Amino acid sequence: MLDVQRLDVFYGDVQVVWDLSFSVQDGEIVTLLGANGAGKSTTLKTLSGLLRPRRGRILFDGVPLERLAAYEIVARGVAQVPEGRRLWPGMTVVENLLLGAYPRAARQGVEAALERVLTLFPALAERRRQLAGTLSGGEQQMVAIGRALMARPRLLMLDEPSLGLAPKIVERIFGVVQDIRRQGVTVLLVEQNAHLALSVADRAYLLETGRLVLSGAGRDLLADAEVRRAYLGI
Amino acid sequence: MIEQLFNGLVSGAVYALMASGLSLIWGTLKMLNFAHGEFYMLGGFGVYLGLLLAGFSPLLAVPLAMLGAGVVGIVAGRLVIHPLLDQPGWDVSPVIATLGLSILFQNLALHLWGERFKNIPYYIEGGVDLLGIRMAWQRVLIVAVTVVMIAVVVIALRRTWWGRALRATAQDRDAAMLAGINVYAVYLWTMGLAAALAALAAAMLAPIYSVNPWMGTALLLKAFIVCVLGGLGSLGGAILGGILLGTTESLTVILWSSEWKDVVAFVLLILVLWVRPAGLLGTREW
Amino acid sequence: MSEVTGAVARARLALPARLVEGGRAYFWVAAAIAVVPAISADPYFIHILILSMMHAALVSSWNLLTGYAGLFSFGHQAFFGLGAYVSALMAMRLGLSPWLTLFAGGVVAAGAGLLIALPCLRLRAPPYIAIATLGFAEICRFVATNLVGLTRGELGLWGIPEMTALTVPGVGTLSFTGQRVPYFYLMLGLWVAIMALLYRLIRSPFGLALKSVRDSQDAAESLGVDITRTKVAAFVISAFLAGLVGSFYAHYVLILTPSAVLSVGVMVEIVAMTLVGGLGTFLGPTLGAFTLTLMLEYLRALGEYRLLIYGALLIVIILFMPEGAVQRLLPRRARF
Repeated sequence: MLDVQRLDVFYGDVQVVWDLSFSVQDGEIVTLLGANGAGKSTTLKTLSGLLRPRRGRILFDGVPLERLAAYEIVARGVAQVPEGRRLWPGMTVVENLLLGAYPRAARQGVEAALERVLTLFPALAERRRQLAGTLSGGEQQMVAIGRALMARPRLLMLDEPSLGLAPKIVERIFGVVQDIRRQGVTVLLVEQNAHLALSVADRAYLLETGRLVLSGAGRDLLADAEVRRAYLGI
Repeated sequence: MIEQLFNGLVSGAVYALMASGLSLIWGTLKMLNFAHGEFYMLGGFGVYLGLLLAGFSPLLAVPLAMLGAGVVGIVAGRLVIHPLLDQPGWDVSPVIATLGLSILFQNLALHLWGERFKNIPYYIEGGVDLLGIRMAWQRVLIVAVTVVMIAVVVIALRRTWWGRALRATAQDRDAAMLAGINVYAVYLWTMGLAAALAALAAAMLAPIYSVNPWMGTALLLKAFIVCVLGGLGSLGGAILGGILLGTTESLTVILWSSEWKDVVAFVLLILVLWVRPAGLLGTREW
Repeated sequence: MSEVTGAVARARLALPARLVEGGRAYFWVAAAIAVVPAISADPYFIHILILSMMHAALVSSWNLLTGYAGLFSFGHQAFFGLGAYVSALMAMRLGLSPWLTLFAGGVVAAGAGLLIALPCLRLRAPPYIAIATLGFAEICRFVATNLVGLTRGELGLWGIPEMTALTVPGVGTLSFTGQRVPYFYLMLGLWVAIMALLYRLIRSPFGLALKSVRDSQDAAESLGVDITRTKVAAFVISAFLAGLVGSFYAHYVLILTPSAVLSVGVMVEIVAMTLVGGLGTFLGPTLGAFTLTLMLEYLRALGEYRLLIYGALLIVIILFMPEGAVQRLLPRRARF
């Protein structure tokens, strides 16, 4: 479904992603792991069109994305839950969610989509008219995921969803991620919390200072001694 | 005295229209539009051309002037502002660019239409006697039209897809992009809308004060001040600030003299900047 | 074809780096200018050069505040105009020597700088500072226009005394009455002195403090820079210099109106000149001042279209050469 080929991404004159290639198949949960500054978020931003790669290709079902603007990429079925949630603080929960369905294709059946999201996150249903800026971290994360789902994406990308959240909430979120996959949405997950990510992911890629250093099945990496030592603190 | 207060309300309405546009642009694009006075001016010339040269009725000339100004706003935004958007130095570059636009427009108008003030007939003659004074219909019209227009804009911002997209872009541009909103298009629409609002203000005021290439300059500074008063980026603040300034000015005329009316704006500005730089309604999202 | 354009794009004046390093280019420019009266007696040309130097000094003083300290002031005309009016009025009403009032004009402008600096201290975003300073300048203009008894408003304050004769031991008495050349050398001296002062300032720890405030106030503060003092000092110094130039203007042109010295038009010219040369560079403002002054005077044929060109110029520069001409043309060592 998603085929990333030899991506080079620069911030100005500084290269942060080197010759990165990876892929995501239909129905998988794939995770990108790595320490801070490894280039994971940069990669996601590039996939979403917020950054333009200097070299490389991004193919989504064979369609090249690397030259498209961010809003065009969303319209093709690739949605991102950004790092830090990035909700619109002055708008209500419902308004935030509704805007997720901004692309024309997603506007049909927006009511139904809204109901589906609120069913997925019952806690939000009670807070629908609350200003997003007043929600707790976990609630905000739910809104952020819900908002991305409103675009009816085929590929959902999450950038560090566990950041700054209590373990219980993180568990719930990861449970939701698996639900989402069960409903037929492919997931690309960027995480610093390697243990959690590897326990839900089918496959994983490990990034270090912008380069791909390791890849394999989630279970295998979980058992890998190098990985355990460097990233799982064991 | 009531007459002065009524005039203050009329001024306030004009200020509100001007400041709303400025605030919209500031809130969404995060820039100060120094050419805003010229959008106003173009609106004035727009009605002049429509009414006196093409012979349209005000009902047609005013919306056409708004449309014309809106188009100019969009084109100017695309040609001059859009290229600067993602470049470094965004703090300074749009100020310079809009300053250049301002000078350009002023002098284009000067060359095209000359420096003589152009008079425009009132849209509705006569007035109504209310509260012991005679209120000219034209002035009442200004207030009425402003109220309606602002109401329309507020409702559009709250209820339509486009309006929500604008608010989203103002509050978090990257998140808006990720939601599928074409923020660059939002920017252009914002400039067009702001220009149209300014043009409306001029179109309504033109019969009273006539039209000339520099008519926007004095108003620009007042509009800036109103925005700061109400809180840069807040639409409600722009409206409130406009009314506040208009009323205060007319009070000054009553208590002092009309000469010092213009200083009031600056005094208020310094006061607000000193005491509460965020303005009355702060940078509250709308 | 692309080879040619490439070469043109890369074209730089191939000056030996050592000669133009840092501020030394100034020395050469000043020296070149100093000999002009010996070569050409054309009073118009002398006048243009006086104007150019005046603009260069004024613009450089704004550059200190906006380019180096990052305080986006849009009311510099207030300092210029205040200096002009104060110097003129003190000479006329109090009968003081213009040599004294020249300085007094600068001092009063500096006081105004202090006054406007205070509310600007807590303002962070450039637009707020721009509006506040612009508002202040407009107040000054408004007051000057309306206090007709004092300034004669738009009717014009004329009858300003010229600089009184100067007796230079060994050279003789230099009379300013009706003469251009003495004014020329006075302005040259002022300009050189101002640029020398600015040069020292920018090279000093104060200059570093300014740039740190511009680039990141928080970082500067955490490193122990006294933000308040730095900002206030920037305002006061740049205001003083602008006031000085204004005073000179008053005693040179001999007539003042609020719209000539206190209007936004002055500010627009300052901005245009700085931008053409390069904001935040040392040579930039001077280059821009000379270029625009010379260009606009000699393009008088385009008379009415002058302002149209200004407007278009601003747009073109900000779109295509935002760093200014200096960054493009001069070798690296000459810019800072």
